[in-house]
Amino acid sequence: MSKVVIDANKNWYSLDIKELFGYKDLFYTLAYRDFKVKYAQTFLGLIWAFIQPALTLLVFGMLFNKGLQVDTGDVPYLLFASCGLAAWTYFSSVMGEAGNSIIGAQNMVQKIYFPRLVIPLSKALVGLIDFGVTLLIIFALMIAYQYPPSPNIVFFPFFILAAMLSALGVGVWLSALTIRYRDFQQIVPFLIRFGMFVTPVAYPAEVVVNRLPEWATLLYYMNPIAGVIEGFRWSLLGGNPPNVYSYISFIVVILLFVSSLFYFKKVERTIADIV
Amino acid sequence: MSDIAVRVDNISKKYTIGNTSSGSLKETIAGLFSKTQQGKTEEFWALEDISFDVKRGEAIGIVGKNGAGKSTLLKVLSRITEPTTGRIEIDGRISSLLEVGTGFHQELTGRENVFLNGTILGMKRAEVRAKFDEIVEFSGIGKFLDTPVKRYSSGMKVRLAFAVAAHLEPEILIIDEVLAVGDAEFQKKCLGKMEDVTGQGRTVLFVSHNMSAVKQLCSKGILLRQGRIVDKGGINKVIDTYLSSDQQENKGGIVHFEPDASKNFQVLKAQLVDDRSIQRYTFECEEEVTLALQCKLTDKIPGLYGYLTVKDKSDNLLIESDTFDYLPNLLESLPTGISNIHIKIPSRTLAPGQYYIYLNFSSQQNTAGFHVDSPGNILSFDVIDTYTMRGNNRRSFLGTTLKWETVDAEITL
Repeated sequence: MSKVVIDANKNWYSLDIKELFGYKDLFYTLAYRDFKVKYAQTFLGLIWAFIQPALTLLVFGMLFNKGLQVDTGDVPYLLFASCGLAAWTYFSSVMGEAGNSIIGAQNMVQKIYFPRLVIPLSKALVGLIDFGVTLLIIFALMIAYQYPPSPNIVFFPFFILAAMLSALGVGVWLSALTIRYRDFQQIVPFLIRFGMFVTPVAYPAEVVVNRLPEWATLLYYMNPIAGVIEGFRWSLLGGNPPNVYSYISFIVVILLFVSSLFYFKKVERTIADIV
Repeated sequence: MSDIAVRVDNISKKYTIGNTSSGSLKETIAGLFSKTQQGKTEEFWALEDISFDVKRGEAIGIVGKNGAGKSTLLKVLSRITEPTTGRIEIDGRISSLLEVGTGFHQELTGRENVFLNGTILGMKRAEVRAKFDEIVEFSGIGKFLDTPVKRYSSGMKVRLAFAVAAHLEPEILIIDEVLAVGDAEFQKKCLGKMEDVTGQGRTVLFVSHNMSAVKQLCSKGILLRQGRIVDKGGINKVIDTYLSSDQQENKGGIVHFEPDASKNFQVLKAQLVDDRSIQRYTFECEEEVTLALQCKLTDKIPGLYGYLTVKDKSDNLLIESDTFDYLPNLLESLPTGISNIHIKIPSRTLAPGQYYIYLNFSSQQNTAGFHVDSPGNILSFDVIDTYTMRGNNRRSFLGTTLKWETVDAEITL
């Protein structure tokens, strides 16, 4: 027997993880809906998930490798960039989708109750499909370059999880803020465009970090996806383990994620009234 | 397990009207620096001190005028919005149906939408799968199951959506005016299904403007007016209170209106009179009921016509009439100035009971809008029958009496 108590006087919010788990079927269904809708009525369907990263890599290769001659050590440039691109694409798309998710579900939240967190969280699952396609590209490149994955690959799942938490941490914050302030709808596309330049996606972090003062390096690693990308490369391609600064990035991820859940919970109670 | 399914204790809900809703950063930042109140905000209590209990297996109808707080109450109960004060305890699995087809996605097929809608309503995928065939059967859209919903007619969408909702198995069900959609045939089917639900000992909270549906489904009622409970108890008693106090603004046989200079045509006075022009509230079946209107016409309005209905306590529409019933339309040739208009309901038309008169004046050709003057539900009156044996026990809609007589001629075929 489930018992629900609605009390206007409570001032402490539990995250109610148990309730959230009760709605895991909704979580999957929403993810399925987004996936289906994204590729419904497109002629190429899922092939798009392959074309986009492939073309981006091509441009990266010409621009950063041939043009700017970025040094990636022993690692072939395309392989190097593909790891960064996989993490960044996942991060930016999930962050953007999650950020807009509550606004996009207005009709639903005004008509029915379910833990609202399900909506932004489900976006992390949808993103994994495109992410999986990008991984295939990475493995294809590995075969092409005859570059075997590093034994560190056992840690790869951990970094995938970190990427999810990182994207959701920012995404859930944005979704809660967007409910109150529509301004954030303008900020998200900017963050995505601007973010790629200050994230070691197409170039190794050392290129920048070696020329920056200490404080700027700290700031650089406040970027919640910076550490994850270093981790991706280390676990897939080997080389130097993520530097000390990366740990700042990981701490930022955890802080962002946990605080986003609590902030979201706080805003959740008024969503239907102000959305 | 206690026998109280829902306990509502002193619930109030405040909305702030004005510039608070989803604001912009600029306002908030400006608000931080300005000491003065942002102003223009106004508090509005949609619900005040609402308390009631619902026993397990009870079906409660919530009635009241538009804006009385019914929908807000349902939203609070279904946890869509939080109350400002008070406490609610809900004991049992609850589902609310404030809309059919919540979350339906145009691009997805009927089959996918059944799963989507079902899980949004709180079912597990396995539960949806188990009831899937039943749902499809109920909806009657079998053939189109794998067609995207955007190709459906609106009727098909509603049927599919309702079929999902009807197969929820909550212990407590909250339903808003969802039956207002769909064709009459399907509405009947839904009402039947709802009755099954209440028949199975489920707890139901039901909001509707359809009094006969409320009566059919609910045993108890709550009447809301301006966010407060004004009456609760047996459904018949509550509906009577609602209809006699809320449905029409003015109980009784006479009503005056403030002259409004902006209206070219307006009813100034409406009253019910008997054949000696004496204002009355109660009429005998044997009498004619005359609605006497005093109207002003300042400027001719092309196409102006009057519309009138007479409804009984259960909201059954018994008489519907307009000025086109007798051509030429009286109001198109009305002289300017003050006129008196009489509308007569013939004797022995209405059976004993209480009746409500609704009045409206409009014109398709009016430049200032369709509605010219809308007095609305203005008058009520009682009809009694002391002339016949059956008298006030006559249960028919009509007060007609039939003559029984012998004749000499045998009917030959």
